[in-house]
Amino acid sequence: MMESLQTDPAGTGMRSEASGEEGRSPRAETPGTDEPHTGWRHGTVVAGVRWKNPVGTASGTFNLAACGRYYDVSAMGAISTKGVSPVPWEGNPTPRTAETPCGTVNAVGLQNPGVEHYLIDELPKLKALGATVVTNVAGHSDDDYAQVVARLADSPADMLEINVSCPNVSHGGMSVGTDPLALFRLIGRLRSISDKPMVVKLSPNVTDIVEIAKACVDAGADALSLINTLVGMRLDINTGKPILANNTGGVSGPCILPIALSFVWRVRQALPNIPIIGIGGISKGEDALEFLYAGANAVEVGAASLLDPVAPLRVAHELESLLDSRPQLAEKLEKGMAW
Amino acid sequence: MDTREYGEVGAKRRQGKTMNSASHDVHADDGGAFLMPRHSAKILSVRELAPGITHLVLEDAYVARHAAAGQFINLYTNDPTRMMPRPFGVSAVEGDAITLIFAVVGSGTLDFSRLRAGDSIDVLGPLGRGFDMSRSARYVLVGGGLGIPPLLYAAQQLMARSDADSLALLGYRDIRYADSTASRYCDAVRSIDESEGNVITLLNRHLGGLDGDECGEGKSGETIILSCGPHPMMKAVAQWASAHAIPSQLSLEARMGCGFGSCVACVEDTVEGRKKVCMDGPVFTADELGWAV
Ligand SMILES: Cc1cc2nc3c(=O)[nH]c(=O)nc-3n(C[C@H](O)[C@H](O)[C@H](O)COP(=O)(O)OP(=O)(O)OC[C@H]3O[C@@H](n4cnc5c(N)ncnc54)[C@H](O)[C@@H]3O)c2cc1C
Ligand SMILES: Cc1cc2nc3c(=O)[nH]c(=O)nc-3n(C[C@H](O)[C@H](O)[C@H](O)COP(=O)(O)O)c2cc1C
Ligand code: FES
Repeated sequence: MMESLQTDPAGTGMRSEASGEEGRSPRAETPGTDEPHTGWRHGTVVAGVRWKNPVGTASGTFNLAACGRYYDVSAMGAISTKGVSPVPWEGNPTPRTAETPCGTVNAVGLQNPGVEHYLIDELPKLKALGATVVTNVAGHSDDDYAQVVARLADSPADMLEINVSCPNVSHGGMSVGTDPLALFRLIGRLRSISDKPMVVKLSPNVTDIVEIAKACVDAGADALSLINTLVGMRLDINTGKPILANNTGGVSGPCILPIALSFVWRVRQALPNIPIIGIGGISKGEDALEFLYAGANAVEVGAASLLDPVAPLRVAHELESLLDSRPQLAEKLEKGMAW
Repeated sequence: MDTREYGEVGAKRRQGKTMNSASHDVHADDGGAFLMPRHSAKILSVRELAPGITHLVLEDAYVARHAAAGQFINLYTNDPTRMMPRPFGVSAVEGDAITLIFAVVGSGTLDFSRLRAGDSIDVLGPLGRGFDMSRSARYVLVGGGLGIPPLLYAAQQLMARSDADSLALLGYRDIRYADSTASRYCDAVRSIDESEGNVITLLNRHLGGLDGDECGEGKSGETIILSCGPHPMMKAVAQWASAHAIPSQLSLEARMGCGFGSCVACVEDTVEGRKKVCMDGPVFTADELGWAV
């Protein structure tokens, strides 16, 4: 069963059978945790922050206690952590997930232990490992977002990613992210609280993504990440009832890739200079490359990470090989340019 | 999974000292090494154990070496459009062979039931926190329906122990598909189907002192209940156990988005808030769940 793994060269950042059951010896040590990771050949720069490679994990599909057991999370371009709210949130009732062809529909409802817990647990642990951290921020109201951003302002987080696009909470989330005026006010307020590089994560559940994107940039956003999940649902034909306890949820996975690409493309056409993190349905290096050609400066891997914990690292390695034969693109990424 | 020619990067090992999150590390004996990601395994045999119930054996040295009773593995269908994990409790380990027993209830389990010897399938695991069988005790394995398979592996492990006994109390809808396997491993097996009653009937009959404790006290005085089955059944078992001052461990089911702790889809309410069934469980004590009366 493990022939394929036996050929794995040492030091990929994940387990290889060739390294034996003891599994330790062949991996080289990376000295120190604060030193730049020099092993990757092609990095990128997003809003002034250098990523070791252009691939990050997408928020809500990474948990350090879970994923850190499977690979060296500091090898990723960046780690976007689960949305944090001012106080712990218990999320939606179960079932929270349903299958759909080439994807999943989820309605977790941003269950998280709150920003105070994050500041003493996942964030310092990630930084100690040497990871570049994008802290995803959630809220039910403008005040919630402001409170979290204030708590994070002098934290070791490298970037903030304001999630104004969660379809699974009744207030805040997507309701802010689909109203350009409300969004302009919110981002302007958050901008005045913290100088940290600020990414705004956009919802695809809008008619005019460009209008939304411009509102964020005008209010001072340093970068945009898109897309979050699309509203969707599945029903059980035996009961006639929705499968998710929340009735509707957010669709993610390979089925949304073409939609996500078109959103990134449209925003890039309208805003040639804003750094963009492309997200949606990426499960292999070619998918990531497609996003770079659509105008993204970096990408994040979501649902694919739930189907194999090491998927984001695998995508990063695959993209690295693809960039080897595309030196012009690689050079632009290194300079923080998209096209 | 195909080749993994990933180059030289990402070389740093997990640093146990900074992780400090290993409350349920699946196998601490691996020291600082990473766990095996999703990988391919070969099917050794597939047969129908009873109408609608499949007995599947796959070859997986890694899972075989590390699986504890009560842990589960994810299977992934070979149909790339059906991507989500299907979790199954490990039902037996013999050499490198892993046995799973499952009911065909939907598209994924139908695919798995049609696999042939020699086919390959993707696997992730072992996953989750299994039963705590560290104490010297008489273990009463209370299983209902398709909750029985993981208890068979518990029985298999207990059989090898000189300081533990096992009594299986098994409830079925109709066909008693697991009795013969259970009798190979357990010191005693009692079963029942819906026409006669349920596992609570068996608990009253064989542990409740009504007809005397006919299955005996076991080598040590202590009794521990390990249970897996439908949610309402396990609640009833937990309440019965606590009413009889017997500690119980319940293996729960949940719809899973990942199976290894990343997505927070699979939660269950506990006295300490909502916990992940896939990582904090699937086995919880009645006290943790607040199910003891
Ligand atoms: C920890 C654990 C151990 C399990 N062990 C066994 C076992 O030993 N034997 C056995 O017969 N069954 C077991 N199950 C239930 C088994 O996982 C489901 O029956 C199976 O996933 C159904 O897949 P499907 O594709 O046929 O159904 P579909 O309805 O087509 O599945 C669609 C999606 O829903 C999920 N799903 C559907 N029903 C369930 C369910 N009851 N529980 C969890 N997810 C579900 C599937 O995994 C899949 O992602 C276990 C479940 C868990 C959580
Ligand atoms: C289970 C799950 C939880 C998610 N949680 C968050 C979250 O907390 N914050 C956020 O901004 N996006 C969240 N997302 C959205 C993803 O980060 C990503 O934008 C989306 O899933 C599309 O990418 P994908 O197709 O690669 O999954 C979540 C997605 C999933 C599947
Ligand atoms: S199934 Fe993803 S956290 Fe449990």
